[in-house]
Amino acid sequence: MPTVKEKLSSFHVLILIYMTQTGVVIISLGQMLAQTFGLNGWLALPAYCIAVTVNLLLIGLIYRMGQGKSIFEIMEQRLPKALLAPLYLALTAVWSMLACLVAIEYVFIFQMIAFPTTNPVWFKLVIDLLAMLLCVKGVYTMSKASTVFFYLTVWMYPFSCLLFHEFSWKRMTPFFFHEGDFSPMGMTGIYTAFLGFELVMLLFGYVERSAKLMKMAIWANLLVFASYMYICLLVFGFFGFGELQHMQFPLIDMFAFVKFPFIERIENMLYGLLLFTMLSTMSMYYWSASEASGRLFTRVKPEYRGLALVAGTFFVGLIPDTLADVNVWLTWLGIAEICISFGLPLFLLALLMIRKEKGKTAHA
Amino acid sequence: MEQGQQLTHILQQFDDCADFKHIAYPELNVDLLYFDHMIDAGKLSREVLSPLLSVTENEMASALARLTFTIKSENKEIVVAILSGSAALFHGGQAYIIDMYDPKGRAISQSETETTITGPHEAFSEPANSTLSLIRRRIRSSHLKCIRLQVGEVSKTDVYVLYVADIVNMDYVQELIRRIREIEIDAVHDTNMLVQLVDDKPASIFPQFYTTERPDAIASKLAGGRVVGVMDGSPFAFSAPTSLFEFFISSDDYYQRWSLGTATRILRFIAFIITILFTGIYVSVTTFHYEMIPQKLLLTLSESRSRVPFPPVYEALLMETVIELLREAGARLPTKIGQTIGIVGGIVIGQAAVQAGFTSNILIIVVASSAIASFVMPSFIMSASIRLIRFGLIVLAGIWGNLGITVGIAFLVIHLSHLTSLGSSYLTPVAPHKPGDWMDIFIRAPFKLLGKRPSQAKSPNPVRMKPKE
Repeated sequence: MPTVKEKLSSFHVLILIYMTQTGVVIISLGQMLAQTFGLNGWLALPAYCIAVTVNLLLIGLIYRMGQGKSIFEIMEQRLPKALLAPLYLALTAVWSMLACLVAIEYVFIFQMIAFPTTNPVWFKLVIDLLAMLLCVKGVYTMSKASTVFFYLTVWMYPFSCLLFHEFSWKRMTPFFFHEGDFSPMGMTGIYTAFLGFELVMLLFGYVERSAKLMKMAIWANLLVFASYMYICLLVFGFFGFGELQHMQFPLIDMFAFVKFPFIERIENMLYGLLLFTMLSTMSMYYWSASEASGRLFTRVKPEYRGLALVAGTFFVGLIPDTLADVNVWLTWLGIAEICISFGLPLFLLALLMIRKEKGKTAHA
Repeated sequence: MEQGQQLTHILQQFDDCADFKHIAYPELNVDLLYFDHMIDAGKLSREVLSPLLSVTENEMASALARLTFTIKSENKEIVVAILSGSAALFHGGQAYIIDMYDPKGRAISQSETETTITGPHEAFSEPANSTLSLIRRRIRSSHLKCIRLQVGEVSKTDVYVLYVADIVNMDYVQELIRRIREIEIDAVHDTNMLVQLVDDKPASIFPQFYTTERPDAIASKLAGGRVVGVMDGSPFAFSAPTSLFEFFISSDDYYQRWSLGTATRILRFIAFIITILFTGIYVSVTTFHYEMIPQKLLLTLSESRSRVPFPPVYEALLMETVIELLREAGARLPTKIGQTIGIVGGIVIGQAAVQAGFTSNILIIVVASSAIASFVMPSFIMSASIRLIRFGLIVLAGIWGNLGITVGIAFLVIHLSHLTSLGSSYLTPVAPHKPGDWMDIFIRAPFKLLGKRPSQAKSPNPVRMKPKE
């Protein structure tokens, strides 16, 4: 009934994390792997998956040691709020800016492909409005929307079997990781494709007792890994390394080859559908930022916090002019987020081990 | 209060009511008050009037003992009883309320908005008695409970909440009763109006209660663990909690073989997609994404559109509006004139508009297909909601092509995700994920696989069919 607060089930956690992790990067991931790791660069993906799993296990340790309490409660029960304020502000800034930049990246890509003469600010405005509508409704509504978005996008995977006839193992070559530049920025860029899993930290307290939160997070990451492996393997075998290095959005170009008697060039629909995955990612980051800021501004309603965050980042988001600028911003924020994803659990671990809860006796 | 005073007060209440009857028997010290069009005249004559003619004042006590009555002392209660179809008999300083209610309504007839090919054809009619009787005849169980409430400060309309004890989740019953009791309005005229007053989100375009005029559908909802509401004066009953997908289900699905039922249900989902997207995609493709059309089809399309002077979005909105006008005119006019409208509209839309260069042939096919698809929905209210959403998507497609359509769908999904029916998710069983229910939502599986009640009902007794040993 309305008085009972609904909680997330295992399946919802799985889909929510999967949809948060899957983003627009998927359309250029093949090219990023080819450029950074060279021939058969897709084989680098398992290393990323392992790194994320290690990170998730670390978060799982916090979940277990904190007995499912929210990370904010863990911190506030051990440290004064004044000390935590800068951390909350930093988290709010990074998460809300990440949400904003994910949207800008999508808007720039979309504008470049379909509407080169339209001012991207209009697209951004509408997408921000959608994200705000979604994030202010809370994590349970977001998980339900993400589940529907998942079903609306997942059919693209079986659909891609229509491209198998163009796939050739010969294009893989017998060489591994040759001709890659192995640049740290490139490697970080690929890792950002997996980001989103760390927000599982904020779901403590929102899940059903029976839901295996961390187990589902690991499964979600494996699902993301499997989908990235599949897509990247497909683009490597479809275009070959040489061509892939020079393509900006191989996934979109690959779907351009799908033809039906009544419709063709279905990549036009693909980048439309990517809006759904992007919205899930974006709203989750905005929601996380809203949760963090909510610890500082407890009297402000979540609706107004969401509005303020979306509006604030909207204006900051007007600064980058080109896709290249956005990518640079995203990489730096990605580095900050990687630091958060490892640093915050380590900080929490230290707190849990060193400091006792306020008001508890030593032997309690 | 003395009889004289009380009687005068009540008679004052019904001042200037020409249809009000007051029969006085001074020799017996009896006054009888009632509305003759609301009562069973035969019963009144047989049980009250005739005996009164043959008794003396001393025999009144024994004459009254033969009647079924309740004694009311409050003037307000007596007035309400008379208004509800009872006769009030005043004698010896007391008011005897004798239930004589006999609403004269339409006979039970065939359902016009929810016809089925196989299965029962009868539909509810306006009097609640007849509706309750049709339901009781289908669920002959003492567990079927019926709670009477009143709605409307002026209309005092009876509303009945029905449920099957031990199957229903009582939280839903209490929530519905609470919401109905909280209604403060002068009058409620139909069930479809009532449900809007107890909606979770009254501003939403989607119906949050399942309304139907089919007794078999309501009986299946009750047996499925849902709460049902019946309103006097409306041929519709409602059930809750409901979900978006429940509106795709027709009683026919269960009366046919499962494979046919499944095929029809899948067809309805396809029809839903066609209704909301087909015209929008036409506008999007012909305005922004010509590259999506294969070359051979492109020739036909460009030839068809070559004489049309408007952009596709205006062309589509124009045709959709004409179709809606035809539909509305057809619905309001008597059947025979309605047919003429259909023929005139068919000729105007089908031929003249194309020859005049107002629209393209292909758009006619697109608009007609989406209009036909919209009528495939078993629920008229849901079908109307979907048709309205289509207009929004056409406009968005005209502004931003495929992205516009995607933005529209995203907005719809966000709205639907937040929507609830009696506090239960409107997207059940997709979100929350209940794969067990999919067998009775996306397909109509054989009955042996439909052994459990819908999870949305949160029934304390979820098993509806024992598996065979």
